[in-house]
Amino acid sequence: MIQPLSGIQNTVAALDAERTRLDVISENIANANTTHGVDGKPYQRKVVVFENALQQAMGGPDANSAMTPQLRVARIQNDNRAPIEIYAPGNPDADARGMVATPNINIHEEMADLINASRAFEANLAVVKNEKSMAMQTLSIGKH
Amino acid sequence: MTPLSAIPQTMYNFGTMPGTDAVRPNTLPTPGVEGPSPLSQPNEITPGQSTGDSFGNVLGKLISDVNTKQNAATAAVDGLQSGQGVPLHQAVIAMEEANVSFQLMVEVRNKLLDSYQEMMRMQI
Amino acid sequence: MIEGLFNQPSYLAAKKTLDAVAVRQEAIANNIANLETPGYKRVDLSPSFRAELDRAVASGDVQQLASLKPSLAVDTNAVSSSQDGNTVSLENEMVQLNQNAMVHTLETQMVSTMLMRLKMAITGKSS
Repeated sequence: MIQPLSGIQNTVAALDAERTRLDVISENIANANTTHGVDGKPYQRKVVVFENALQQAMGGPDANSAMTPQLRVARIQNDNRAPIEIYAPGNPDADARGMVATPNINIHEEMADLINASRAFEANLAVVKNEKSMAMQTLSIGKH
Repeated sequence: MTPLSAIPQTMYNFGTMPGTDAVRPNTLPTPGVEGPSPLSQPNEITPGQSTGDSFGNVLGKLISDVNTKQNAATAAVDGLQSGQGVPLHQAVIAMEEANVSFQLMVEVRNKLLDSYQEMMRMQI
Repeated sequence: MIEGLFNQPSYLAAKKTLDAVAVRQEAIANNIANLETPGYKRVDLSPSFRAELDRAVASGDVQQLASLKPSLAVDTNAVSSSQDGNTVSLENEMVQLNQNAMVHTLETQMVSTMLMRLKMAITGKSS
């Protein structure tokens, strides 16, 4: 199939990966105070693990190219942090000692991650836009 | 790079045509250039240099060159469309070059026809 | 005769530079895609190819120009700014991206101008 924008497979993969990361971060933030989830336990922070897969050559058939890794989301796994215990005897989820287990989610950390993920996402979008405008210019060679 | 002067010069140098022996090609004035061209580039036929080829050979070579260009353009576009990784700009440039070559051939044909008709109109 | 039309050094230089631009674009896209990949080293046009291209363009030698092939290599001058060994700096990559786009525009215009000039010389019409 024709591919007018050449060489942006990795960009597409990166956009995908960063999008997933943004989703996971927003889920973490939304559930920062969930003490009682579906399984009865407090919400466990999730992280996205990236991996490099599918070494592929860049540059097309003409160039002597380097092999580069392709970014991919390996899995979304639960962070192993222990929940923070807070003394709140009035809370329905309090145990015998009056302690409530709350998710160990640091909002500032999540916001920093969010900003990084957004930055990477927007940078990759800029690459796609750039590529498209270059292709349009190429198509007008020899005309006007 | 002076394509404007290249075209008339190559046309005046189409070897020996029947009946034109009395007119030596290198005495015909070419626009903007005097005598042996000081701007002669390695791949331009300079006045005063006889190619020795017959007119038919030159024309045949022109047609086969144009054909080569067209084939290269088709190959490039095929490579692009089948996803073989031919860069877009190479396909576009190959198509434009084939276009230009073809136009040159068509114009040469037109000029030849015109001069032929001109000759036929001459009173003997 | 046809080859003579298209064998001008400046035209060939523009075409080869366009090849290099396309390859570089892919490299920069890759670098930006791997912005967050731990241990990723940025790639760019290899310095040897850059030197070759500069030499060939300066000399105007048609043979040299026609035999150029762009090559990519890991950039050994890039330093890692983070703990995981990733040497991509987003600011640098965006600047390189924009520069590459400018070179592309320039070379495209040069090629386009040459082709349009030829067409005008051949047909006598300007479009």
